[in-house]
Amino acid sequence: MEQLIEQLKQQIIEALNFEDMTPADIATDAPLFGEGLGLDSIDALELLMLMDREYGIKIADPKAGKDIFRSVRTMAEYIQEHRTK
Amino acid sequence: MKIAITGIGIVSAIGCNCTQTLQSLLEQRSGIAPMRYLNSVHSDYLVGEVNLSNEELRQRLGLNNAPLPRTSLLGIMAAREAVAMCQATCDAFISGTTVGGMDLTEQHWHDYQSGKATENIRFHEAGESTRAIAEHLSMTIPQSSVITPSTACSSALNAIFLGCDMLRTGQAKRAIVGGAESLSLFHFNGFRTLMILDKQPCRPFDVNRNGLNLGEGAGYLVIENEADAIARGAKILGYVGGYANTCDAYHQTASSPEGKGAYLAMKSALEMSGLQPSDIDYINAHGTATANNDASESASFEHLFGTQQLPAISSTKAFTGHTTSASGGIEAVICVLAMNNGFIPANLRWEQTAEGLIIPVTQTLHQPVHHVLCNAFGFGGNESSLVLADHGIELSEAALVEPISVQTIDEQMVTKTLVTASEARRMTPQMRQLVSVARQALHNAGIDKPDAIVCATQWGCMLQSMRFLQDMIVSGEQELKPTPFIQSTHNAVASLIAILTGNHGYNNTYSQGQQSLACALTDIRSQMSLGRISSALVLEFDEQVAVWDEVLAHIGEQTHNIARARVYIKK
Repeated sequence: MEQLIEQLKQQIIEALNFEDMTPADIATDAPLFGEGLGLDSIDALELLMLMDREYGIKIADPKAGKDIFRSVRTMAEYIQEHRTK
Repeated sequence: MKIAITGIGIVSAIGCNCTQTLQSLLEQRSGIAPMRYLNSVHSDYLVGEVNLSNEELRQRLGLNNAPLPRTSLLGIMAAREAVAMCQATCDAFISGTTVGGMDLTEQHWHDYQSGKATENIRFHEAGESTRAIAEHLSMTIPQSSVITPSTACSSALNAIFLGCDMLRTGQAKRAIVGGAESLSLFHFNGFRTLMILDKQPCRPFDVNRNGLNLGEGAGYLVIENEADAIARGAKILGYVGGYANTCDAYHQTASSPEGKGAYLAMKSALEMSGLQPSDIDYINAHGTATANNDASESASFEHLFGTQQLPAISSTKAFTGHTTSASGGIEAVICVLAMNNGFIPANLRWEQTAEGLIIPVTQTLHQPVHHVLCNAFGFGGNESSLVLADHGIELSEAALVEPISVQTIDEQMVTKTLVTASEARRMTPQMRQLVSVARQALHNAGIDKPDAIVCATQWGCMLQSMRFLQDMIVSGEQELKPTPFIQSTHNAVASLIAILTGNHGYNNTYSQGQQSLACALTDIRSQMSLGRISSALVLEFDEQVAVWDEVLAHIGEQTHNIARARVYIKK
């Protein structure tokens, strides 16, 4: 799990262009949207694409992302349970 | 001057001319169907395709096999119908598109790279597909009056507006105005990554709406001074009563919840026409059937008209699909058909409302239609609204005045970035440069919010376009990212500047090869002459991208990095 979280942070940094950030800068339980990283709806779409691309998880309803993307931990938990690659 | 409409032409999924379109509308026959010509691996999505292959289009148009984008084929068909109806020659052709010849680029990408299809390469320029339409009409239109606005889904309405301005300032006598757009894998997949495509036929304004169906086609009006139309005995089909473009300045793809930009556009268009909200008999809504658009547009309607006095409203995208850059032209023609045949088109498949959503007309209504409002909204919150009337409405005329250039800033003159770290995250290097030169130019000119932001670009936002295109081709339409698509539209820059500076004013982008800047200047010159704007930020940009330069090398050309901001004021 810890390894997945670390890997996921790196992937988020790359997918969302956080050029000057390292995985250590992202708190595992901090909110991704609103406060915390301050992501928006385009970022949510990028994260859905990331889940498909890297873990083979297809989510048809963009609203479903809301719960999954609460924090890096919730995202990692969802990936662990649903990944197909 | 009263601006008369003396010709209309239309092609879409519900017909290849006015007669077929009218019949489909009256009989409530939708054109949404499985893909036939768009060769996508995602064939489970429905689309609104024009029911003719490229070969069939060529045959009908009597064209040989010389390469033409589908956008141009559709445009030629609709423009010829409009010209034939007006029975006169025209001296301006203003046609919005964003896709342009992208269909050829994606089909022949490997041939482009190896230099096997050099005759097609130029069509990647949006303006080139417009020029090709103009060349296939039975008249010679001056090069300076062949113009392509490219503001995504509001492009065609913006084309109509510029045409009206050119008539009112004596720069054109009779103009063909509207837009053309074919389906392409590029924007189909782009919309797919935004997750706003419905796999079922779309349901505008319904509580269970689940996205849009993409469509294609072309729609044009021929417009001229009423006095000229009467003098030559032309049949008048309606009048342009007012028009306005604003910027929502909220988000690169989504509309603000309260629909501020849309409200401002409709309000200004109505003010120009001198009509009251209660005079409007019918609104042809943008109504894409996405969750966001229909809620935002409903809010803007309720703000302007009040919840109790809403006119009849429908979205005809349930018939045609969302024809993107052509939609303003196609829907303006549908409005002219509605006025001339006394009916209000139905909003197909609507079943159930919810709080905050308007209730559209669900069955064809047969009733007189005197005044119509027609909306088209594009990415970046580019909001356009057109008032059409069955009687002449006096619009002011003006002699041309030259704008004064008070500032010119290019990329060499801005040594440090004027973009904050948080703003910069999603921007390409070129966008950062453009925002910097724009901010510097405005700062030097002492202007906080110019009345207009107008961009001019030959190739558009090439870095992101090429990224998305290559990802799409290499991955077989699988591994795509939304951001490059969002930032691939020609107007991504103009809307970004508006968002960053909170500017709700006029916002437009022109893509007409080497003439792009001249087109932008024609626009601001007209508007300044008419007194609608007194300051404008004009941004000229192009982006050097290695992979595209390798393609262009086959025709002895290359791209250049240009990031130049000019501030103009009225004398």
